[in-house]
Amino acid sequence: MKKVTKTILQDAASRLMFSLSDEQFDVLLNEFEILTQQMELIGQLEGVDQLAPMTFPFEVTVESMRSDEPSVPLTQTEALTNASSKVAGQIKLPKVV
Amino acid sequence: MHYLDLTILEIHDALVAKKVTPKELVIEAIKRAKANNDQAFEMITEDVALNQLQALGEPEADNPFWGIPFVLKDNFSTQGLETTASSNILKGYIPLFDATVYQKLKQAKAILIGKTTLDELAMGGSGTTGHKGSTYNPFDPLHERQVGGSSSGSAASVAAGIAPLGLGSDTGDSVRKPASYAGLVGFKPTWGLVSRYGLFPFAPSLDHVAFFTRSVLDAALTLNVLQGHDPHDATSYPGKKENLLPQLKGDVKGLKIAVIKEVMDSINDEEIKEQFYVTVSKLKNLGATVEEISFPLPLLKAIYPTYITISCCEATSNNANLDGIKFGPGFPSKTYIEAMTQARTQGFSELIKRRFVIGSFALLKDNQDVLFVRAQKARRMIVNALNKLYETFDIIYLPASPSVAPKFSDAADKLSSTYLIADSHLALGNFAGLPSITLPIGLKQGLPYGANVMGRAYEEKTTLNVALAIESMMGLKNLKAPRD
Repeated sequence: MKKVTKTILQDAASRLMFSLSDEQFDVLLNEFEILTQQMELIGQLEGVDQLAPMTFPFEVTVESMRSDEPSVPLTQTEALTNASSKVAGQIKLPKVV
Repeated sequence: MHYLDLTILEIHDALVAKKVTPKELVIEAIKRAKANNDQAFEMITEDVALNQLQALGEPEADNPFWGIPFVLKDNFSTQGLETTASSNILKGYIPLFDATVYQKLKQAKAILIGKTTLDELAMGGSGTTGHKGSTYNPFDPLHERQVGGSSSGSAASVAAGIAPLGLGSDTGDSVRKPASYAGLVGFKPTWGLVSRYGLFPFAPSLDHVAFFTRSVLDAALTLNVLQGHDPHDATSYPGKKENLLPQLKGDVKGLKIAVIKEVMDSINDEEIKEQFYVTVSKLKNLGATVEEISFPLPLLKAIYPTYITISCCEATSNNANLDGIKFGPGFPSKTYIEAMTQARTQGFSELIKRRFVIGSFALLKDNQDVLFVRAQKARRMIVNALNKLYETFDIIYLPASPSVAPKFSDAADKLSSTYLIADSHLALGNFAGLPSITLPIGLKQGLPYGANVMGRAYEEKTTLNVALAIESMMGLKNLKAPRD
């Protein structure tokens, strides 16, 4: 596992596209120390790594196919309703180039 | 006493007998909502309620939700009504469709009174992290105590007598823990029984729709109306709907009930323990077998870190669409990256950002095996042990919280190396998707506390029957905070 450092956490925050203050990173570092210790204890549970990961409580099997009925998608107007900036029927963003 | 102070079943009888009208109920509910100072509401939906009233027609004797006021946590989509999940990043977002559960209640002619506050994006357990600030416990007029979270506003409004039904969501204990602090019944049915379409996802492998009522039979009624397969939700249970009400008599004779010793040992409040054991004695008197059994302590200690790791990872991924561009407040910027970064920096609170960083770090290729995947494996180990227990026992029965509602000054939103097993055991129900119901069993200096009954998957009937027996024995049905 990567060692948790402030630089690593800054990189993670940057990839998540938000910023945090120095004090907030300090809190995070402390939280990571606690979480890492607790997860190491979990790693010591006998046989844990031999189990398959559990991704849902249990399988919900649907045996019938959904009928192939056309549904009404969002109209262009509806899709744009919540965008704060739009132009000519599209969401407007600052120029990339 | 106003008819609004009764349970759903009692109000229904009064409506059918024309002792009260839906309009009288709604006007009183809106009046109480407006007067409430517990910070329970994102929005009071007076216009919606008055419009719904117009379309009601004559009382429907076979429809217990006809004209019943209810409140909805603000992380359920409501077409045409702003829905923020108490986060600034969703400020101004108006959904284009209704969540299935809201649709079902509307079809049943229940009346929406308001959308309620929550911990931001439902990621918290204190009711303190929503963009409007803290939600207060109606049982504490000094406003020093939490009502718990994340479904804080729904808990506060049902406890304050504004509505007899409040919908919430429960990923770790977000309905069942506040129910304990607010003297309510909080019920999370088996995973998949109630559609999650239109519920903002936090951690979908753990998320459940759940609800607050003031009686066990009202909880059963609510499941009756909300259950059913939904083609919009791929995890929705495709089996038959079942009318639970005729099957609920509070009969517990012959049932085998387990009390986990290690959880009891981690509770320091002797008064709560003593009262819990009073209920155990009464269950025995009714013919149930109750045994205090041992559950592997390392697995109980693993619940909290397993929960935090899985939920943070899933939340990081699920909330990546909150970019402030397709919806939410836009920020003038020179680049789209700057626009998104501004929206996410200003739109999320510190706690949410920290949780996302934890999730993102645990999902990194180098870390996944020892963090996220290991947590998923630990979850299976815990659930395997739980299911082993259910080979012998029908029910696991425990205090729902180790204390009455904590003071704001005693609570922290940061991870801690010292936590009580008794504060995290309700997440077992989310790990395994089991039916789990909290109900009040006592009051300590005027503050309520509850116990939790958890059954096997799809065994709602047994779970609710045990809860009904306890409710009948303890005389705390329809508990509400004292009104001024």
